[in-house]
Amino acid sequence: MDLDKIEAPHAGASLASLVDGDVPRPRNVLRSKDLSLRFASKTILTGIDLPIRRGSITALIGPTGSGKTTFLRTLNRMNDKVPGFAHTGDVLIDGESLWARHADLLDLRRRVGMVFQRPNPFPMSIRDNVVAGVKAHRIARRGQLDLIAERRLQEVGLWDAVKDRLGDSPFRLSGGQQQLLCLARALAVGPDILLLDEPTSSLDPMSTEAIEHLLSTLAPALTLVVVTHNLAQARRISHETVLFFDGTLVEHGPTADLFANPGDPRTQRYVSGRIG
Amino acid sequence: MTTADRSPGVPPATLVLAAQRAGRKLTTTAKRAVHFLLRHEDSAWVWAARTAAVVPLVALVLLITVLAWKAWPAIEVNGLGFLTHSKWDTGNLYGAVTKTHGVSHPAGASYGAWPLIAGTLESSGIALVIALPVSIGAAFAMTERMPRAVSRVIGFFVELLAGVPSVIIGLWGALTLGPLLARDVYPIIARHAPQVPVLRYLRGPTGVGEGLLTSSVVLALMIVPIIAATTRDLLKQVPDLPKEGARALGMTDWEVARRVTLPWVKTGVVGATVLGLGRALGETMAVAMVTGVVLGSTARNVYGTMTTIAATIVSQLDASFTDATGFAVRTLAEAALVLAVITLLVNVGARLLVRRSAGTALPVGRGI
Ligand SMILES: Nc1ncnc2c1ncn2[C@@H]1O[C@H](COP(=O)(O)OP(=O)(O)OP(=O)(O)O)[C@@H](O)[C@H]1O
Ligand SMILES: [Mg+2]
Repeated sequence: MDLDKIEAPHAGASLASLVDGDVPRPRNVLRSKDLSLRFASKTILTGIDLPIRRGSITALIGPTGSGKTTFLRTLNRMNDKVPGFAHTGDVLIDGESLWARHADLLDLRRRVGMVFQRPNPFPMSIRDNVVAGVKAHRIARRGQLDLIAERRLQEVGLWDAVKDRLGDSPFRLSGGQQQLLCLARALAVGPDILLLDEPTSSLDPMSTEAIEHLLSTLAPALTLVVVTHNLAQARRISHETVLFFDGTLVEHGPTADLFANPGDPRTQRYVSGRIG
Repeated sequence: MTTADRSPGVPPATLVLAAQRAGRKLTTTAKRAVHFLLRHEDSAWVWAARTAAVVPLVALVLLITVLAWKAWPAIEVNGLGFLTHSKWDTGNLYGAVTKTHGVSHPAGASYGAWPLIAGTLESSGIALVIALPVSIGAAFAMTERMPRAVSRVIGFFVELLAGVPSVIIGLWGALTLGPLLARDVYPIIARHAPQVPVLRYLRGPTGVGEGLLTSSVVLALMIVPIIAATTRDLLKQVPDLPKEGARALGMTDWEVARRVTLPWVKTGVVGATVLGLGRALGETMAVAMVTGVVLGSTARNVYGTMTTIAATIVSQLDASFTDATGFAVRTLAEAALVLAVITLLVNVGARLLVRRSAGTALPVGRGI
């Protein structure tokens, strides 16, 4: 595939359209401010400053162990219960701290969804998987659940494959289909932001393409943060790219720029495949 | 060797030597056996496995056949009424002997096992209703809530409890727990229970603690360790990934447990429950000690006196041998057969239930 022909959709073109009515929302839906994090005595992240623009797709790249997953999981507070978790600095969502006293953890997770490296369907029927979060958050009435399931499965392109076996086990689906199901499940609760941790690393090229295509259609309605080891993927789908190195943020910029003219020597070496 | 053992004058050194020699001989034999097994590893293993697999089947078939054969004359005479009638009358054991269908039995003998059957099902059912939530709650607490050290200590006690002989729990139930419940707990329940179907059986006279509910509590105590320990081991096997997914979706801990973790191990929990239920259905001593075996009528409410099949068999066996015609013993065999069938039905039923409800959702096949 010729990578250069598939241009990343240009970000930031119509910010005005992203402003809801007459209530202006911050341009950055998420903002990490000097975030440092450790698990017990082990420092994992140091001084991460990262604004994430509303409606954009941000790719997090970097060598293994550089803290990408840890950073991503911090964004919907999945790290809070890790033994020894402690942080300084802050992460703001729509201008409010994730850890604000009145912050509602469950609602945060509804607004900030997450898709994992390996598909993780729940032990319930395919249909119930899609609406599991909807039920938990009591977003819809019981009678609407079938419709929601159908819509979301259509949205991720899984409907035709599963419409005759909605009551079946999700574990009999292919890995790619399971991952699409997990995406449908995450989308069903109506998140603003979706965090994806190497969402295609366990999938074949066809499934990967399906997921990438879907992701690029989700923005700008949603803001996506995608961890990936696949640099080509980062170039294909993301507007902005962030390079992590050893728990620090080395470089952040528009994807095309970062790959074409890396500012930091470490970025240079990483994107040319010499480290990582 | 044997002579050396017996003669007191042999110096210890000789004994030691002899023992060593015998030991060496044994080791060589063992080595040879192992060597042989290793050489024929596959076929030996396959045959051992096959034999072992057949043992339970043969035992079960034999058991049922022998029981049925023993009970057959009683089944003929007692008829279907055995399952529905409540009267339990051995007849005049020292009086005239009559014959029905060619089977001789004391005149006036009439056996109805309905109270036994009802008592068995009721006490085990209530025990399960009490034990299941307690066990699952305890299992979750041990795997997800407690620090590992605490959990290990609690787990140890749970397993200890499983090993306490039922006669001890029965004695404690009869002497301590029953009277305590009857004095301090039952009156409160009876006063507040609503007058609606099922729950109205919680109302009425509470007795002295020698009844259905006390038996059920004692039975529950005996099956909680079985279900809790198994469920705990199962919960430990549940992978983190689906649980994380549920948490990331904004589910509360309770929802994660109810919608993801527990369904993940549902089959296993049902299996453990059936084991527990089997134990409750067949439990003899504890129930016999707690309820004091009241034949002839079912319990009026949950506090009422009652009996079960197992408790009746153990308490009536002695007296039954005084029936010179042997009919009383055959009737007990018939009761035992009924119990065996109930247990089998419960097992099969539970398995069908699992297959039907879990067929769609079990983590089988791909992706695990
Ligand atoms: N729960 C934890 N407790 C202690 N240390 C942890 C924990 N999770 C991650 N770490 C450490 O944090 C560091 C960063 O890990 P992280 O998973 O964020 O890296 P990553 O960039 O996602 O790597 P990869 O590309 O391999 O997924 C690693 O050194 C890891 O060992
Ligand atoms: Mg990672």
